[in-house]
Amino acid sequence: MDLTKYEKIFSQESDKYLKELDDLLLNVEKDLSNQNLWTEIHGKIHSIKGMARALSFNRISDLCHLMEEWCLKFQKGASACSAASVQLIFDGSDILRSLVSKSGRIESLDEQKSYNTIIAKFQKSPEEYTEKNRNGAPAPASVVQPKLASIDHVKIRYSHIEELLGLTQEIQLLVKRFPPLLQDNLSAGLKNWVDHYNTLMKTLYFQLAQLRLMSFGDFADLFQKSIRNIAREHNKGVNVQVLGSEIQADITILERLREPMIHIFRNCIAHGIESPEERIGRNKTAEGRITIEAKSEKESLYIIIRDDGRGIDKSDIMRHLKEKQSLLDNDLNNMTEEEIFNTILSPDFSTAKATSDLSGRGIGMSVVAQTIEYMGGSLSISSILGKQTEFTIKLPISLSVIYAIVFTVGKHTLAVPTLNVQSIGRLYEHSENNAGLFYDLRKHIGIGDSEKRLSSFLTLKYANPPAGSESEMNGLKLLAETIIGNRPLMVLPVGDCLSKIKLYSGIGIMENGDICILLDVDNLP
Amino acid sequence: MKLLVFKVMNELFGIESQYIYRIIDDSKVTPVCLTPECHEGLLYHRGEVFDVINLASFFGYPKKENIVNERIIILKWINKKMAIVPDDIAGMIWMEDNSEDKADYNYDGHVVRLLNPDDIWKKLTGLSHGSNKI
Repeated sequence: MDLTKYEKIFSQESDKYLKELDDLLLNVEKDLSNQNLWTEIHGKIHSIKGMARALSFNRISDLCHLMEEWCLKFQKGASACSAASVQLIFDGSDILRSLVSKSGRIESLDEQKSYNTIIAKFQKSPEEYTEKNRNGAPAPASVVQPKLASIDHVKIRYSHIEELLGLTQEIQLLVKRFPPLLQDNLSAGLKNWVDHYNTLMKTLYFQLAQLRLMSFGDFADLFQKSIRNIAREHNKGVNVQVLGSEIQADITILERLREPMIHIFRNCIAHGIESPEERIGRNKTAEGRITIEAKSEKESLYIIIRDDGRGIDKSDIMRHLKEKQSLLDNDLNNMTEEEIFNTILSPDFSTAKATSDLSGRGIGMSVVAQTIEYMGGSLSISSILGKQTEFTIKLPISLSVIYAIVFTVGKHTLAVPTLNVQSIGRLYEHSENNAGLFYDLRKHIGIGDSEKRLSSFLTLKYANPPAGSESEMNGLKLLAETIIGNRPLMVLPVGDCLSKIKLYSGIGIMENGDICILLDVDNLP
Repeated sequence: MKLLVFKVMNELFGIESQYIYRIIDDSKVTPVCLTPECHEGLLYHRGEVFDVINLASFFGYPKKENIVNERIIILKWINKKMAIVPDDIAGMIWMEDNSEDKADYNYDGHVVRLLNPDDIWKKLTGLSHGSNKI
């Protein structure tokens, strides 16, 4: 099993937790006995430990474990915290950062020495350690010399990127409109120069456009404070876990998701997560957990928001459907679990006065669902009673760059993601006998001159083969007039007007600025 | 009220200037199959993709072929954007806001019908997709 991917996720997530840990330590330094802060510190270290254990990074998990024991004592007020103790946890954080960057490896004698020293210190009790440092003359010095982090990021306004993109496109257009450069009798040297210039401008544009991408981790961070505030309003404690931080998405899409997501968080906290007393009664931790996860599958971006609260009782929804919408038992039996939960998203459900357990879940959720649908996406709900509720937002492809096989059929330029193509071939006269295996888009969607012989084909492979026809459909040969090639495409969502057409999964912009339509091969008519 | 006035099948129409993002010419529109007849295709401009709507066809007239100096009007308003292609652009005019009847304006003896992009959008998204566009 290739663990590289998981190691990368571990490193990104741990870096984030360690940064948050340092911020919390700075705060607790000013208020040593603040048990809430110690609880949060404990949570960060615990998260790193859990991930390290899963990857068998024992040095990291062992150190985390000892640090956690100290935190627990401060959290419960079992030990008094001193400035020296906080400094030691700072030192532990520095060593963890160094270990995380090397996947738990120790690469020098000095590093081994620092690690052994800090383990020995954490093995003492906080009182013993503080006492020793009080008697010993100097204040505890850091056991590691943390490297100064290099500045490799700058913050810029999004509108500035838009301005740069606009200017780049204007410059491209200038060349098109400068009459001497359009003349056929340009000298070969000048023509080469113009071509080279054009290529560079297009590449510049292509690269600039990618600045519109934002990491999901940064996006999720924007909610941390709101979630905390909502939780406080309801006298509940909530830990937030972010998964898939590395996924990149178009900032314009993420911006439009902010309001709906806040609404979902509000629902999770107000109606999903139980009060601390109720949770303890159900053998759960006093604090609830909200997990925000991003996944990128095929040409869709999935954002999953999960709470570990009381869940939704399916039978309550069914009772509501019977009483308020006059559905019969037979109708209800024919509904899938997904359909039943998703009735919460219908406007009828929201406006109806459902039972008290449900009303909170419904109010406003139809508005959230409509906003997401307006973006060409969908929202669905699933739940396990007493355990969790999960909201899944599926959005059409966000702005990203993928490789796709670009081809033409008639006057249409189309593309299939390279991941969905097994091979490309040419159709010779003698292959005609196998015509049944070939899929001619022209006949199915009525484009181009269907009499003209197409001479190329793409052998497809499906991510989700149509049910019951796996062997037949996998390997289907999609006919093409001209194969333009395997091209990097900047992919934009299809927009509201075309989102009805299930065959299209996105709009691809080629490096020369031309448009092609990305096909969803799982939805071929 | 400032209106951009344009001609479609010898009738004058106007759109309030607040909706106008840009007017461009000499731009490539990429046709898309399975769209309604009036959908000319997609336009990629300054990092964004716009649906391009032929207004004559949208109003149910046959498309005017070989339009000389075809210009595309790009509209942008709250969370929405699209581009429209009239037969010709007459220019910008200033009209007194006629609060009684917002549909028609008289300009120099000609009737200018006011178009609301939201109405075009609603009708457009309600049109059936899947017709053959060859």
